[in-house]
Amino acid sequence: MATTATPLPGGQRPNIPSAAVRFPAIKTYDQVDREIAGTLGPSLGWFGALGIAILCMLIGATAWTYQIHEGLGAAGYQPPVMWGVYIVTFVFWVGIGHAGTLISAILYLFRAGFRTSIYRASEAMTVFAVMTAGLFPILHLGRPWKFFWLIPYPNWRLIWPNPKSPLVWDVFAILTYLTISSTFLYIGLIPDIAILRDREKNPIRKAILSQLSLGWRNSDREWRHFTRAYLFLAAFATPLVLSVHSVVSFDFAMALTPGWHATIFPPYFVAGAIFSGIGMVFTIAIPLRKAFKLEHYITLNDLDAAAKLCLFTSSVVGLAYLTEFQVAWMSGNRFEQDYFWNRVFGQWAWAAWIMLICNVVLPLSLWSQKLRRNPAWLFILSLFINLGMWFERFVIVVPSLSHEFEPWQWGTYRPTWVDYSILLGSFGWFFMWFLLFIKQLPVMAMAEIKEVILPPMRRRRDFSHDLTQGVVDPDETGATH
Amino acid sequence: MSQDTKKPGVKRREFLKVLGATSAAVAAAGCSEETGKLIPYLVSPDQTVPGVSTYYATTCRECSAACGLIAETRDGRAIKLEGNPDHPVNHGALCARGQSALQGLYNPDRFRSPMVNEGGAWKVITWDDAITRLSQGITQTRGANRAGGAVFINQHESGSFPRFLDTWLAGFGMPPHLSVDFESDAAAIEANRRTYGVAWPSLSFKDAKIIVSFGADFLDSWGANVPQQLDFADARARLDGAPRFVYIGPRRSLTGLNADEWIACKPGGELAIANALAGKGSIQQAATDAGVDQAALQALATELAANKPALVLSGVSGESALDVALAVAAINQASGAVGVTIKPAQPLTGFEGIAHTDQLLGAVERMRAGQVSVAFVRGVNPAYHLPKASNFADAFAKVPLRVSFSSFPDETTELCNLIIPDLHSLESWGDAEPIRGTIALQQPVMDPVFPTNSKTIPVAPGTADVLIQVAKKDATVASKFAAPDYRATLIAGFPGGAQALGAALPKGLAAGTIPARTLAAAPAVAPKTTSIASTQGEFFLITYPSPLLGDGRGANKPWLQELPDPVTKVSWSSWIEIHPETAQRLGIDRGDILEVKTANGTVRAPAFPYLGVHKDAIAIPFGRGHRAAHAMPMFDPKTHTVGEVQWGYGRYARDLGINAFDLLPVGTHAAGGFIWTATKASVSKTGDNEALPSTEGSARQHGRGIAQAVNAADLNKPGAGEGGEAKEALPGDASHAFLPGLRSPVAADAQGDLGAPTAADQGKNKGLYREDDIRGMAKRRWAMTIDLARCTGCSACITACNAENNVPTVGAFWQNATIYADQKPGFNITRGREMTWIRLERYFEGNPDGKFGQDFETRFVPMLCQHCGNAPCEPVCPVYATYHAPDGLNVQVYNRCVGTRYCSNNCPYKVRYFNWFGYGEVDRKQYAFPEPLNWQLNPDVTVRGKGVMEKCSFCVQRIREAENRATLEHRELQPDEFTVACAQGCPSRAITFGDAADPNWTVAQLANDKRAYHVFEELNTYTAVVYLKKVNHPAAGATAPRA
Amino acid sequence: MQGVLGAFREIDSAVEAIEDLKKERFGDITVFTPTPRHEFEHVMAHGPSKVRIFTLIFGLAGVTFGYWIPVWISDYWPLVVGGKAIATWVPFTILGFEVMVLVGGLATVFAMFALAHIPRLTMTVGYDARFSGAHFGVWVVTDPDRADDAMTVLKKHGAEEVRRER
Repeated sequence: MATTATPLPGGQRPNIPSAAVRFPAIKTYDQVDREIAGTLGPSLGWFGALGIAILCMLIGATAWTYQIHEGLGAAGYQPPVMWGVYIVTFVFWVGIGHAGTLISAILYLFRAGFRTSIYRASEAMTVFAVMTAGLFPILHLGRPWKFFWLIPYPNWRLIWPNPKSPLVWDVFAILTYLTISSTFLYIGLIPDIAILRDREKNPIRKAILSQLSLGWRNSDREWRHFTRAYLFLAAFATPLVLSVHSVVSFDFAMALTPGWHATIFPPYFVAGAIFSGIGMVFTIAIPLRKAFKLEHYITLNDLDAAAKLCLFTSSVVGLAYLTEFQVAWMSGNRFEQDYFWNRVFGQWAWAAWIMLICNVVLPLSLWSQKLRRNPAWLFILSLFINLGMWFERFVIVVPSLSHEFEPWQWGTYRPTWVDYSILLGSFGWFFMWFLLFIKQLPVMAMAEIKEVILPPMRRRRDFSHDLTQGVVDPDETGATH
Repeated sequence: MSQDTKKPGVKRREFLKVLGATSAAVAAAGCSEETGKLIPYLVSPDQTVPGVSTYYATTCRECSAACGLIAETRDGRAIKLEGNPDHPVNHGALCARGQSALQGLYNPDRFRSPMVNEGGAWKVITWDDAITRLSQGITQTRGANRAGGAVFINQHESGSFPRFLDTWLAGFGMPPHLSVDFESDAAAIEANRRTYGVAWPSLSFKDAKIIVSFGADFLDSWGANVPQQLDFADARARLDGAPRFVYIGPRRSLTGLNADEWIACKPGGELAIANALAGKGSIQQAATDAGVDQAALQALATELAANKPALVLSGVSGESALDVALAVAAINQASGAVGVTIKPAQPLTGFEGIAHTDQLLGAVERMRAGQVSVAFVRGVNPAYHLPKASNFADAFAKVPLRVSFSSFPDETTELCNLIIPDLHSLESWGDAEPIRGTIALQQPVMDPVFPTNSKTIPVAPGTADVLIQVAKKDATVASKFAAPDYRATLIAGFPGGAQALGAALPKGLAAGTIPARTLAAAPAVAPKTTSIASTQGEFFLITYPSPLLGDGRGANKPWLQELPDPVTKVSWSSWIEIHPETAQRLGIDRGDILEVKTANGTVRAPAFPYLGVHKDAIAIPFGRGHRAAHAMPMFDPKTHTVGEVQWGYGRYARDLGINAFDLLPVGTHAAGGFIWTATKASVSKTGDNEALPSTEGSARQHGRGIAQAVNAADLNKPGAGEGGEAKEALPGDASHAFLPGLRSPVAADAQGDLGAPTAADQGKNKGLYREDDIRGMAKRRWAMTIDLARCTGCSACITACNAENNVPTVGAFWQNATIYADQKPGFNITRGREMTWIRLERYFEGNPDGKFGQDFETRFVPMLCQHCGNAPCEPVCPVYATYHAPDGLNVQVYNRCVGTRYCSNNCPYKVRYFNWFGYGEVDRKQYAFPEPLNWQLNPDVTVRGKGVMEKCSFCVQRIREAENRATLEHRELQPDEFTVACAQGCPSRAITFGDAADPNWTVAQLANDKRAYHVFEELNTYTAVVYLKKVNHPAAGATAPRA
Repeated sequence: MQGVLGAFREIDSAVEAIEDLKKERFGDITVFTPTPRHEFEHVMAHGPSKVRIFTLIFGLAGVTFGYWIPVWISDYWPLVVGGKAIATWVPFTILGFEVMVLVGGLATVFAMFALAHIPRLTMTVGYDARFSGAHFGVWVVTDPDRADDAMTVLKKHGAEEVRRER
């Protein structure tokens, strides 16, 4: 997958560059530990960023408190638009989450080399994004204090949720996703925590890290089961990530509502999710590599490869948009046709065009390799992608509801300060966790980078064969012995 | 279809009469001494069973028609008003205003005790004190020999009270009272009197071959609208030989929207047309004068000549009103209508003895001249109704003693210096003679809402009782008033005395007549008016009483404020109607604030582009724009203290919208009536715009076939039931495919899944429908038919539903969020957050480009929860808060609802309503039932909390009540034994409710009608609500309008 | 437990040392490596991990439970919604799948813990902090009399440090 500008040394599998190419600037194990562990520990700028994030979160929390007291009317709901900013933002964050799992799990199975340096950060992003998304279904309830009624648990009332409802499928999907992705993150962290533990001088921190590392000793037995378990987790996470956003899309696809009732939704949503996720990865990784001086870990090749994935998903999404219109047009269904016309040329044109430009037009720039290898541009583009993907969900949720079967009940939607504050709060909440993470735990998998680079040798020998297997599942060869 | 006119609910009424028979005694307790305060009983009287309603027959006093009421009371509190099915006038139907009388009774801004104004400050006084002050005041006046200069302005009502009042006045040497009804049509009354010798003959639409109305809005507020509507619906629902209805006038009112043809003449043009039709003057001339299409007029003339008898009505209120009325009378006589469609033999006596506006104005002039020593006002609000130009306030101020008997802090009362609040008609005794030869009794259905503040007077007295007590204090007069109180007086005057009265009370009716008050013949009237032609301005100004708020007296009732105007669908706000074409020319958009200027005043209100107003005219309704004499702070439920007087007609009316009377000159026509269309006006844009609080989304159907219609001519053609011209064929469209689904509890039955077991189904798991399920097998499928040929769009069903199901009103300006929230009146309505479980959709067909023309048609569709067999809302609910009951009901479980609102998103009919705020929570500013409005709440229905979804339940509480009653009496439910609130209240009997699975119910038969169709049938929702297509009667050769 | 611990800088030295130790019939050898290397896999020649069995079994258990739960719920209190059948199998596949992933995934993790003997609360003998950094460690369990031989083997292959532990 990750072809690169510089030609490969002969005799290697073309799709897996040698360490010399992957990380030319990383020579020794010590250097890895030094540089990555060196990123830990708070800095002034970090405190500033954290402060802003917490402030935003508090604004959102205040708005929510007020909304709970006053009733949902405090938000801008305007029947028939019964779902608004909250559901839009929910889908947005779930989507963000998906890229992380894609990179850490799917690319792991596909042996995509550029995964190594960014997967830890994106996995963390996944967990925190899902934590954020998970708030919104609760937060948009009329009676949020009763949210647990959606969870199937034995209770004295002897009543259970309705397993036919897509919202209950959501509960299962989101909770499973949260559990599995956070487990996946933690398992991957264990060897690195062990590294930190062994480097740590401060006895208290050492004690904590020892607990967290579960007494990991890097023994061959541990590694053997670890790699295999990691593989299976990846194998589970891969279909999971596809299923979760399909289930989210069922919230819409299972309804009669024109503009929702479409079979294309699951693939369309999954592609959109990965697209938005890659966008967020750029938004996070590019400042990160700069701030932490890790340009030689997250190399231009990595960004280039990710950008291609971004371009690909963008075109899938674009195709989905077109398909929707084509289906509506050919369906001969008056309701669908009216709705889609209203979407692009009617009252919601502005939103629809923001979506189209940000998600379909701008990413076309990634056909140029120059721009693909230009972090500044990728960062700017990623902001547009985030914006565009938020508006994609907006366009799906709001216009459909505002223009349904009953002309008498056609309406519009105007969010209030409460909606906006809570939207802001969700970003505060997300970045608060992420910032806390990057200063406590390594944003890159040290052990795995060591796996890719040249091991210390007494005699010069061509290790290229082994190196090519740097990211290969050990059992493949282990078993054949 | 007229056979079901009286059917629904009758059995229930029979039952209540049995109860009612024992109720006279309880009623008597209304003025007895047991209870002072109204709290639920600790030890209940024998007659009342907690949780079981008691029903009292009484009479409605909201307008002059005096319809019969059945008041449902629970634990001594009136909770619902319904029409009295035995009543000769309204036959069990009741309009929105009548039903809202409850909110007058329980109005939080009612005076709780007498008050006196001393040195500009209001002071609460005891009843004794009030009565003493009144009699002293009168004694002084007599002492000064100025009693002859007294003026008593009373709200017009029929029955004994007017005569009683005159006797009382005469006793003190005062002249007879003025009986004022601003909504009455003086011209029509005068013409009737001259032509038939009675004020108001009863009308029979059924017997007419054609109906022509010159601005007579007999469905809104003209005459006795309930009986008229009932009869009109019966006439129009005939599938063959139903009369065509032509409406002539500059504005298409609700009545006009129900017409098959609208001849849009310019204001004042009616006279020419009427004359021409009466044979005086040429059609051609008339066409040019009135600015209408000559061909159409000619066609009408021919049609009138061909179809006899006709029913032609005049409700014009211009300077030529009387002439039009007389010309119309001539047309009627010519077409042999007298005795057939117009029955002077059975006059509605409620319209006798109404004082002309010019008499009132005369009184005002006398006040101005300082000749008036004492003025009494009761139930009338001249300070609001008389145009500014009349300077009523100044004149009134010249009267030394100004007594108000009003229950509400209205404009006039604020100008008085002594307030002795009257009891509400539901708290007091009285009688009426709605139609000659029938006495309708008015009895207290409960103790007065507010306790007395006096030791010696145990229960707050009504005005009549106050008058008696005053009389007793005066030796000379006392002899005339022997009876202890007004009730006794009534009994004394009643043919047959106490016995007969007691016997008559349960039905509330008795044969006999009430001696009319003797009135000096009204002096010949000299019209005081300047010709409209001579006034300035580019538009004719049409003003009309709102069909809901009337002349303004409804404005303090939240139900009526919230109820969207049947024509414009605007609530909680005034508006200015202007034709779209004109609006386009002036660059006026919907909601643009217009400034309307006449010689007499200026108002500002949002514009409402409306196809149904003449393009040279603008129209403004009466009813809103109540103001306090001195500025009052905006009402705030948080800081408001009970008893603090809300001047300006109460919290719900004050500073809301504009008062169109401010624009009018003081003009009366030849019949002495007030001229509503009296001046031209100039219109200018202010540049501001505000969203109108309107429930209207799109006024067009976009070919979706929600309201379908069929031409009368095509009715009997084969396949008339199929399709429908306004409906485009949609995928899966198949007419009457829904019928099997309608026959069974869930539509899946139609697909052979669930429901009543066949032999093949034995042992199959059927969920609720399992043989071994404790709730038993489904027996019924509750369903509803709505006949659009009957529905007039009057919206009474909505009020009935509000009352029955505790639906909150949400439009008051303080019912929005607290922080950074818009405090505009009706803001929640603007946000589309109205809660009414049933709504009336008003779709226009024709004139899609808004060009001026009469060939547009209107279709009203009552839209409520369709209780789908395959309900899309059910499977998406994560917590089973909505599911399907065995008898086909789509149930909403409030306690289980967590408020995901997914059900609403998935409802194609959008009939689910969400509690955005805690409308039912006492300590919130959004609280919809401020004490004592909450006394009206129906104990059978939960008041929904914050954050839950609610919707039409098909009045499940009534269903269960009937079922339980049947069970107790060891019998099956009888067909049509009971009905739901909207069906019961519907004045045109358009709604029929029942068990569609049992062919003996009317609803099951109606569902077979060839006009039957389902809305969005192609969605396979198998709804339980079946609509019957509207029937159009286009003029010969005219093509039906297209959407 | 007694034995000898050798710390190597270079991976090939460590590998060769292990090969020799095996020739010398030193049975119980543990390798500590900062990152999984195939060289050690080859030389240690352990069979494949047993984790896969747990994953399979619990995955199957999960999907069964995931199907059963909604069916039981629907039948336990049979309410008709939308005119659909009481127990609708097709959509329940979603729940079946999600529960499979949940149970299977967690089972995998716990199986890994069990098989790899973690979490362990104390660092037992024979571990050195360097092994998580840049050093490869070889830990030979042996009785004292053969300890010297082991040490010589390790030294011979250029162990940076060799020490006895007890």
